[in-house]
Amino acid sequence: MIRLAADSPYTLHRLENGLQVVIEVMPGVRSAAAGFLVRTGARDEVPELAGVSHFLEHMMFKGTAKRTWQEITIDFDRMGSTYNAFTSEDRTFYYGWVPSAAIERQIELLADMMRAALPPDEFATEKNVILEEIAMSKDHLEHVMFDFLQEKVFAGHPLAWPVLGYDATVSALTRDQMWQYFQKRYAPDNMVFIVAGNVDPPRVIDYVESQCGRWKPSGAVHSRRPPVVHEGVDVLALDRFKQQVLALTFPSIAATDPNIETAAAAAAILGGENSRFFWNIVQKGIAPRAGAHHLDYADCGVMILFAACQPEQAEGALQALRTEARILCEGRVLDAEVERVKNKRRTTLAIEAEAPYYRLTQLIDDMEYHGRPRTVEESLAEVDAVTADSIQDYVQRCPLTVEAHLTSVGPRKFPDTTP
Amino acid sequence: MAEAVHNALESGLEYAVLPLPERHLVSFQLRFLVGTADEPAEFLGLARLLEETLDKGTQSRTGRELADAFDSIGAGRQSGTGRETMTFTCTVLPQHFDRAMELHAEFLRQPTLSDDAVAVNTQLARQELIALEDDAHGLMEKLLARQAYGSILGRHPLGEHETLGRIKRGHLESFWKERFHSGRMMAAVAGAVEPADVAHILAKYFDGLGSPRRAGRDPFSLEFSGRTAHYDKNLEQEQIAVCWPGVDAIHDDFPIQQVTLGILSGGMSGRLFTEVREKRGLVYWVGAWQETPRGAGMMFLGASTTPERCDQTYTTLLREVDRLAEDLTEDELERAITGIVASQETRGDTTRARCAELANDLFFFGRPVPVEEKLAKVQRVSIADIRRYLDEHPRDQLCVATLGPRALGTGIEKNVPPGFAKVAR
Repeated sequence: MIRLAADSPYTLHRLENGLQVVIEVMPGVRSAAAGFLVRTGARDEVPELAGVSHFLEHMMFKGTAKRTWQEITIDFDRMGSTYNAFTSEDRTFYYGWVPSAAIERQIELLADMMRAALPPDEFATEKNVILEEIAMSKDHLEHVMFDFLQEKVFAGHPLAWPVLGYDATVSALTRDQMWQYFQKRYAPDNMVFIVAGNVDPPRVIDYVESQCGRWKPSGAVHSRRPPVVHEGVDVLALDRFKQQVLALTFPSIAATDPNIETAAAAAAILGGENSRFFWNIVQKGIAPRAGAHHLDYADCGVMILFAACQPEQAEGALQALRTEARILCEGRVLDAEVERVKNKRRTTLAIEAEAPYYRLTQLIDDMEYHGRPRTVEESLAEVDAVTADSIQDYVQRCPLTVEAHLTSVGPRKFPDTTP
Repeated sequence: MAEAVHNALESGLEYAVLPLPERHLVSFQLRFLVGTADEPAEFLGLARLLEETLDKGTQSRTGRELADAFDSIGAGRQSGTGRETMTFTCTVLPQHFDRAMELHAEFLRQPTLSDDAVAVNTQLARQELIALEDDAHGLMEKLLARQAYGSILGRHPLGEHETLGRIKRGHLESFWKERFHSGRMMAAVAGAVEPADVAHILAKYFDGLGSPRRAGRDPFSLEFSGRTAHYDKNLEQEQIAVCWPGVDAIHDDFPIQQVTLGILSGGMSGRLFTEVREKRGLVYWVGAWQETPRGAGMMFLGASTTPERCDQTYTTLLREVDRLAEDLTEDELERAITGIVASQETRGDTTRARCAELANDLFFFGRPVPVEEKLAKVQRVSIADIRRYLDEHPRDQLCVATLGPRALGTGIEKNVPPGFAKVAR
């Protein structure tokens, strides 16, 4: 067990089987949150198994050697847990947030779930649930847009397929295929157990040892490689939607880059709440919605500038996005602009520091991108380091004036690329 | 447990403060007792348009300068317009509390409501109405509210294209002048602040804001309409929503209604999730929830599913409510109660959640209600209480709406279990 420093809130530990344990003590709170981070996601799948990570996440709630699916959900609810799980391109996370007194029961249940039985008789029923989730996503314009953007921008790479998978791949998936994937990926040497809240670290570690110490490592290694960010124009004409959504995607830096806060600040200045897009695009009536989002993973990142508008506004909206991007790159942001964005980020960090569940989500990123937990003060120092100069350096390194990828989804075939 | 201070200023402004000295933040909510139900029928959308336009310019600053001033103190802001209230919520570091309140007072008391800002925000509201067509859940909520609540409480904040077209700057200004008074204002503050300081700051910035006479506290009448309607739309899934009248937030049976919802949909072991999703695989999303305008309550069931599963999903939803009166167990009851109690300890760790709860207490009960008092009522709920509640609030008049490619099957009423009378189509 390693206590990082006498005044550090963190305790780190690694079980013999490779399971990492990270604990943040928050003495002023009445609750605690715990979760298993599994280092697996859609980008670890092969194309024919697209969607297996997410489907597996659902199946993890469907029974263990000790519990049926009903007993799992009943036990969560008996302790008053706020619980769930999510799957992304690069991770799967299972968590529960409970009053501090229930933390050991919470750990026991989560640990039991991680040794899932994947009961064959539940597989077909849950497959229907996943297919319904995919159907639901097709009714959401933004979801359709994001899936299409990933498919085209990251074409030829595992980041190209949707986390939910496709109707065809999910329908064809067998329980045996999922079992093999599960055995390989859900091993202790590919997982991190994270706790935040009003807890006693030695006691938590003893308890985790007792619950997870006998798990066998798999020696799973990641074979992730960074994608090529494609240029070009891709249009998906869907007349059942009323709006046109446009996105310009530019290569950017990875989440592990020391300048990631600078990239986030650039996105906020361009397309945050009180941003250039808001005042120069939305409030000018060019498009009702416009924003900027920095999408990043451990090994790659992109800056996405987007607008949603009436189909007939598409030309103006696209031009406005390009104009604002050019002005940012060619000019210099004001110190006051930078300071405002930093102040908002500071308040956000203070909000996140209040509750164990929010700390848990921050710790996931810390472990994934930095290999260690970081205090709120460390995050604040990174925010403090952002300046007008650093933003200028960033846009020179990752210019938003280059040929980008343009994605367009909506009722109009815009731009019309027909020869 | 910290105790809240409740008082009113001479100006009529009613406020409550929950001091949480160990926190590093302050959250506050300013609530005006004016909402969509107050709009003239020919100007639907007026209240939200006012909310959106208020901070787009003051006598001393442009909208952008005001937004910059808020950002310079790192204020996290939100505002919203509901049926009966308009809320302005803010979270800041304690040293910026005074300044945040000053800036709120500036735009709430001295908005310019310029022609340009009104025109832009009217145009944006129109476009949001169009965007709502691409949001199946949001559109369903709008359609169901109009169908279930009637002409006053069933209004959508965005209004209608036609009514938005009639709104001019003068309408916004009159609506603002007539209703933005201290007597219609409530303030709730939680976090690292002293109640005496809060009183002083509120008085400094809001004294003299219109009439101190208390107003806007009477409930609007609920015009419930039990009928079934289908709204045809090209979607992958069918959206299904059902509602019927329940009790309001200050009714003695409210804790029973809360626990009933917990049993139906509080966690994954809730009946709807278990029966509709986990056992039958009919849906990804299913849930039960409530809405409580003053003096009224409405219970909702909702799900979305592919069209061929729509009828079975609908009948299963209704069946599960009826089954509560037949085979509810002590274990289910206890789980639902535990869920409500535990969430006070988990979500209660956030200052924003404490502020929101305090603001709701002021609105519904006219005073801060200690958490212990609320939880004690929840913990006393028994199976007999739930059976009585279900008996006294029969689902014999249901409002049902579906949105998607097909209506409920024509024979669906035959499958409706006892207790659910055939509903009008």
